[in-house]
Amino acid sequence: MKNSLLILSVVIAAVAGSALSAPKPNTLRGGASVSAQPAQTAAAEVKIDNFSFSPATLTVAAGTTVTWVNHDDIPHNVVSNDKVFKSKVMDTDEKFSFTFAKAGEYPYFCAIHPKMTGKVVVQ
Amino acid sequence: MNPFDIKTVLLAKHAQHVVLIHFPIALFIMGAAFDFAARWSGKKSLATAAYYNLLAAAVATLPTLATGILAWRIALEGEHLKGILLMHLVFAWISSLLMWLVGWLHYRHASKPEVGLPSYLLLLEAVGVLLITVTGHLGGFLSGVNGPG
Repeated sequence: MKNSLLILSVVIAAVAGSALSAPKPNTLRGGASVSAQPAQTAAAEVKIDNFSFSPATLTVAAGTTVTWVNHDDIPHNVVSNDKVFKSKVMDTDEKFSFTFAKAGEYPYFCAIHPKMTGKVVVQ
Repeated sequence: MNPFDIKTVLLAKHAQHVVLIHFPIALFIMGAAFDFAARWSGKKSLATAAYYNLLAAAVATLPTLATGILAWRIALEGEHLKGILLMHLVFAWISSLLMWLVGWLHYRHASKPEVGLPSYLLLLEAVGVLLITVTGHLGGFLSGVNGPG
């Protein structure tokens, strides 16, 4: 009986100890916590202003959605040199988005103003 | 790049429309100016100069319209136009129609002097100059001549 009580107390102590020392999920050191979130698609933006793309060269990870926003008073569009993507003509504050699934370099230009060029580098 | 190389002229990476458009604009404005001066001074030589300028302006609209429409059909794949692009196209058509009408009225008078020039011709020419100015302003705005593009 005495041995049984001893064994039982050792088991309870072991279970309690393991429970206290086990790492808690979603808990950071210092008490901060993060909630679990579904995986999100990365996003990036290219501004069109004063007849130029900014940034002129944008480097993003594969799967990123790039959005071009026309801040100019003039209509512009975005056309990939390899015809991978092509927007409609965008008036002021209109947007165009494209998701880059594959790695590579995607040079593009504005068909209305061919001197306006840019490049998206997908890694 | 050689500026006198024919390939440079024909295959340059710029729209020919923005080059050709200056011809009908300049010819029509000068033609109208000569016509006003001819009516004011009564000099036949000025009327002759007006006739040839206005006729040349009407002819020069053809390649200009053609290249403008081709730019729309090819570069923009004929997408539905809106805003400044649509206004530019509409004003360009109205200006061209007016230039053809003025050119035809002058041509008819030159072919059959007994027909005479209509009294409202100068008014038509003045309206034509105004419409061309608006069309050219919109075109210049689109092309970004005042910007780094």
